[in-house]
Amino acid sequence: MTDNTLIKVENLTIEYPMADGEVFRAIDNFSMYVNRGQIVGVVGESGAGKSTIGKATLGLLDENAIIDTGSVFLEETMVSHLEEHHYAQVRGNRVGYIYQNPMTALNPVLTIGEQIVEAIEANTDLRGSDARNYAIDLLTQAEVPLPEERLDKYPHQLSGGLCQRIVFAIAISAKPDLIIADEPTTALDVTVQKAVLDTLVRLTRQENIAIILITHDMGVVAEMCDHVYVLRHGKLVESGPTEEVLQRPTQSYSRELMAAIPRIDHKIERFAVPGGLGQAGDRERAIAYLMDRKSDAGVEGQPLLQVRNLSKTFQTKATALKSASSFKAVSDVSFDVFPGETLGIVGESGSGKSTIGRMILGLHQPDEGHEIIYRGRNIADLTSRQDKLEHRKSLQCIFQDPYSSLNPRMTAGENITYPLTAHGLLDRSAARQLAGDLMELVGLPRASARKMPHAFSGGERQRIGIARALSFRPDFIFCDEPTSALDVTVQAQLLNLMKDLQDQLGLTLLFVSHDLAVVRQMCDRVMVMKAGEVVEAGPCDKVLVTPDAPYTQGLLDAMPKFSFAAAQ
Amino acid sequence: MSTETTTVDAGTLADRKSEEPTFTEKFWKIFRGHPGALAGLVGIFIFLLLAIFAPLLAPQNPYDQMRLDILDGLLPPGSRLGDGTLSLLGTDALGRDILSAVLFGLRISMVVALVAVIIGSAIGIFMGLLAAMKGGWVETVVMRLVDLKMSFPGILLALMVLAVFGTGIDKVIIALIIGAWAAEARLVRGVAMSELKKEYIDSARLAGLSDTKIMWRYLFPNSISPVLVVLPMSISGAIGAEATLSFLGVGVPITEPSLGLLIANGNDYILSGKWWISIFPGLVLVTLVLCINVVADRLRDHSNPYLRGKD
Repeated sequence: MTDNTLIKVENLTIEYPMADGEVFRAIDNFSMYVNRGQIVGVVGESGAGKSTIGKATLGLLDENAIIDTGSVFLEETMVSHLEEHHYAQVRGNRVGYIYQNPMTALNPVLTIGEQIVEAIEANTDLRGSDARNYAIDLLTQAEVPLPEERLDKYPHQLSGGLCQRIVFAIAISAKPDLIIADEPTTALDVTVQKAVLDTLVRLTRQENIAIILITHDMGVVAEMCDHVYVLRHGKLVESGPTEEVLQRPTQSYSRELMAAIPRIDHKIERFAVPGGLGQAGDRERAIAYLMDRKSDAGVEGQPLLQVRNLSKTFQTKATALKSASSFKAVSDVSFDVFPGETLGIVGESGSGKSTIGRMILGLHQPDEGHEIIYRGRNIADLTSRQDKLEHRKSLQCIFQDPYSSLNPRMTAGENITYPLTAHGLLDRSAARQLAGDLMELVGLPRASARKMPHAFSGGERQRIGIARALSFRPDFIFCDEPTSALDVTVQAQLLNLMKDLQDQLGLTLLFVSHDLAVVRQMCDRVMVMKAGEVVEAGPCDKVLVTPDAPYTQGLLDAMPKFSFAAAQ
Repeated sequence: MSTETTTVDAGTLADRKSEEPTFTEKFWKIFRGHPGALAGLVGIFIFLLLAIFAPLLAPQNPYDQMRLDILDGLLPPGSRLGDGTLSLLGTDALGRDILSAVLFGLRISMVVALVAVIIGSAIGIFMGLLAAMKGGWVETVVMRLVDLKMSFPGILLALMVLAVFGTGIDKVIIALIIGAWAAEARLVRGVAMSELKKEYIDSARLAGLSDTKIMWRYLFPNSISPVLVVLPMSISGAIGAEATLSFLGVGVPITEPSLGLLIANGNDYILSGKWWISIFPGLVLVTLVLCINVVADRLRDHSNPYLRGKD
């Protein structure tokens, strides 16, 4: 290593004692070198130990963490083993830290100005109006519009992207040698992400600040990093210059990781990752059960679902302090969904995409003047209990958050079949058998139907959620960002599973996502939404390749590119 | 903003410990390293045994008028009664053995408090769930009733109830129930309202399940843990409230003396040197409430995830 080395992590092993007396090894014999001014990516899935490395550098490890072997050097200082009071010299001053969620990283009861000035006074000699002027200067550098006005605002008055820029300004205020950015854009929309990352790169290049960028997003790594370290279960899988690792991954795990990334530039049949439909023998029985639908899936060429003039206004009631206000989440949306196809709805957060699905399912009441026609019948005309139940069963949902979408006090099997037994459609032994069959169909062991939800990982819970949606033999499934909370390889497995199920069962899907690449891989047609309105609609191959609307073009431009990444 | 939930896909299903921890395991997790709470638990257990086996343990049956002898009245601790039995804690003015009276009094105090809290909590849980689930006027009515109840000092409300219904064990229980349900209802409603926003409730609605089924199979089991945590605290509160009412002479009848009534009995004598009549029931009352409270404290700390890592 040259004299240029800023951070030297050598043979670092960090362990956590666990309640049952065993030891969890979060980082296992990991070494890393960061040069001055270099941007180094640490990439891996959740639980890989990425954040632990960043925390070790600043002495921010949990109290019960044990550094078993190895050390972290910041030039000549061994920062992994400092006395607590010496960290003040390091934190903020020499190493800045950027957190995942800017809204929680800033103190909600202090103004932006107070927080920046506090950081400036702690780490520099500037005081009073000098500090304030420097704060304005920093905000200008971080491309915060109207910096002087923003100083007197509170964090909740600003958007997430602006807050993250303010966190940047605080991080660079002491002109540190290194910034550790822990998933800095995961909480932000894709268009904001792009701009925020550009700012971060410019700021650090200008001051010759090195960055350790901790992320799960290969796209961000490809855009930003000079060098990348791929981590799995605390161990180094592969490292090297970004281009080399992403183009010619030598390890099977890195190859799998690359293959799992949904691509925006072309559509593939399946992701090249293991997993998919369950392979066990009872899968046939589950499919036979699911194919035995009373109604046929709809007539070819006739829309299964027609939505006309759908709007939703959320009203807030007047209180003593605030007058009533209303917010139009969806305005005047019309579209058709044909049997067996997948219609994607894509847009940034707050664009109203989930609200559309929830109105179709009947979880939200739309404004007056709309029509939702399902299989030729206006759902407002369904009055009898029987009709309503049949309709309910035919439209199901796969939810966004696998951690709140299962009843924690029911076993996986009960979660899947309780509604059926409650309606008297199945007796208990038939329900048990069906739960087992469906678990196998979605690739989970039959016996695990007896376990409680907390015993499953996020991806596994999402599979249970799919099994539950299927248990009613639906024709139409609304997928509400079903993979946004999951790691990229788990996402790829789940998307494969959904494609397989759709092929086997002829399901019609309405697929909501903020991720254009996922939509490209899953959907036949797509609607692009912005602020409750449809910006553009059409086949994916058209809209996501040569869009007409500038907004769609902007979304596409903001996507991280893999121009040099290997084709699969 | 997209969700920040992250997943840990470590190992396959088979590798992971997936069974629910057994009761013993959970128990040890809560009480290991907390000698105070453990001692409290042992104390509660001993008091329970004393109360259950009071007729076998007590040297004298304080209800049996035939056994009482006025000549044994006001004997200091350690005296022998007329029939030769040792009176470890002395006697009261009627010649009643204080130890026996305390054992039987413990029984009454604990039964009254337990019954009142269990019924009161059940009502509170139901009302809270109903308010959260139904919303609208149901919620308004329930929550205004809660506010109404909360606006009275507890003891005043109980006195009013007893003034209307008269005295007796059943009336005291009713008074305590009326005192107990409101806090529970408010607590459960809060938890239930945040649970109602979760997606598993949406899934139940999509399945066309009735409100009743959603309430009992989905909402109820996910909303009651905080109530279970405050339950011991409610019990100790009810024991204290019952003792207060009995001390004031509006609680249990004189023929079924609870701890509070025993303390009241000795009140007239405490300044004339006959301290044992009030002090011993008082000590038992304080110790019992203390034992319950340290256990309740531990349960509350354990249920708070922010404190859990630091104990």
